[in-house]
Amino acid sequence: MIAPLIDKVIDFARFVVLALRIQFTRLPPRDVFVTQFVDAGWGSLGLLTMLTIFAGLNLSVQSYGSFERFGGQDLLGMFAGIGGVRELYPVMAAVVCGARIGANLAASLANMRISEQIEALEVMAVDPLRYLVAPRLWAVTLALPLLCGYADVIGLAASYAGAVYQLDLDPGSFIAQVQEQVRLEDIGAGMFKGLIMGWLVAVIACFHGYSVEKRDGAEGVGVATNLAIVHGAVMCIVINLFLSWMIYG
Amino acid sequence: MDRLLRALETLGALIVFIGQVARAAVTPPVYLGETLRIMNVLAKRCIIPVSLAVAPVGAVISLQGISIFKLFGAERMLSSFLGTAIFREYSPALASVMVAAQAGSSIAARIGTMKVRGQIDALAVMSVDPVRYVVVPGVIACVIVAPLLSVLTNLLGVLSGWVFAVPIGGIDHGAFMENLTAQITPADLWIGLGKCAVFGLGVGLIAGYLGLNVGRGAADVGKAANDTVVSTIVLILLTDYAVSMALLGAGL
Repeated sequence: MIAPLIDKVIDFARFVVLALRIQFTRLPPRDVFVTQFVDAGWGSLGLLTMLTIFAGLNLSVQSYGSFERFGGQDLLGMFAGIGGVRELYPVMAAVVCGARIGANLAASLANMRISEQIEALEVMAVDPLRYLVAPRLWAVTLALPLLCGYADVIGLAASYAGAVYQLDLDPGSFIAQVQEQVRLEDIGAGMFKGLIMGWLVAVIACFHGYSVEKRDGAEGVGVATNLAIVHGAVMCIVINLFLSWMIYG
Repeated sequence: MDRLLRALETLGALIVFIGQVARAAVTPPVYLGETLRIMNVLAKRCIIPVSLAVAPVGAVISLQGISIFKLFGAERMLSSFLGTAIFREYSPALASVMVAAQAGSSIAARIGTMKVRGQIDALAVMSVDPVRYVVVPGVIACVIVAPLLSVLTNLLGVLSGWVFAVPIGGIDHGAFMENLTAQITPADLWIGLGKCAVFGLGVGLIAGYLGLNVGRGAADVGKAANDTVVSTIVLILLTDYAVSMALLGAGL
């Protein structure tokens, strides 16, 4: 039980070192990067928009319920602003888009592995890590901060709509609280978190996809996808705690 | 127009499917052994990811909450906010999202694989209703396992919140416990568990539906597993919002 786990962790660490080296030694191939960037960023917008609208509304409605108990409902704007921009929207963007992007990455790499396309690249003396993994890592790492910023905008608008139109709070006071409490540094910190979590999601997904072996077959693809989603989501939430602790603690 | 018709068709098929599942769930024969086996597998698979996902949330709420509540000198109230937020909202929602990611996708993948290999048709030939034997146990298992996991994550969430509030944040332990027990009512617990059961039902139904309606090849199985995760997360957030509005309207 423990020994295979340790092996896996060592494999992962080795993969991370390799990934960092190929990421920072040379620029990734441009065309692959652009395709992946558009797929990760633009492709996630619809899903992210819908989810952030509901998350923003939820944040307003649910914290209203909690604050009402001790008469703090007038501070909703402050809470929705700080809680949303610093924590909820970056994490949600990372977990949800991470699930979508990570699953795609893992599935496509695993598929290439079992159909021997990766070996074919090696035969043609193309380094598959440099050609396949590096552009994907860069694409997701750079796309997620933008998605986090986008989620901030949509989420705050949804929280505002929830607070003003559903809960009948004073719109001026909501906006004043958000403007007073949410600073540019908070948004920057959220996007920085997105950067870190994006890289993490990508490297986990690429690791699981890349380490599938041909004899695992189609089931290996499914397993890799599932592991990419679950490990990516868990790592995002855990790393978010440490990032928050570092930044705000 | 064409897309609208197709969406309506899917919706209709989904409703028929839910009807089939509901009928199979309440009429005999019940495959109890299969249900228990799946519950066991799901609980074992989900317990670590779910705990790891929910525990940091309590800590983050404490971390950010302290600075907000300190502005008003009300940091003693932190634990009541933490308690209600964890019990009612974050623990059910996040535990269900992780159940969807882990259990939902594996159920969809399993049913999809059976379908692709023709095992589902083989069951039907043996006059075993596939919905009854394959889908219903998964749905029941999700409905039962999700709230059970939520009980655990409630405890973990409050515990990690305590760690960041009391030893690290410097709030008095007595005040923390007092506000925690004063504000959390049994209703909060039951609302959280009820939500979890509803979300679990959604996970099981969507996984079963997408698994049974998988395409032809191995790649489609992966796609079904993926679609299960994404559509369940959407469903969970949507339902969560509807439930929150209803509860607010009911004054709970």
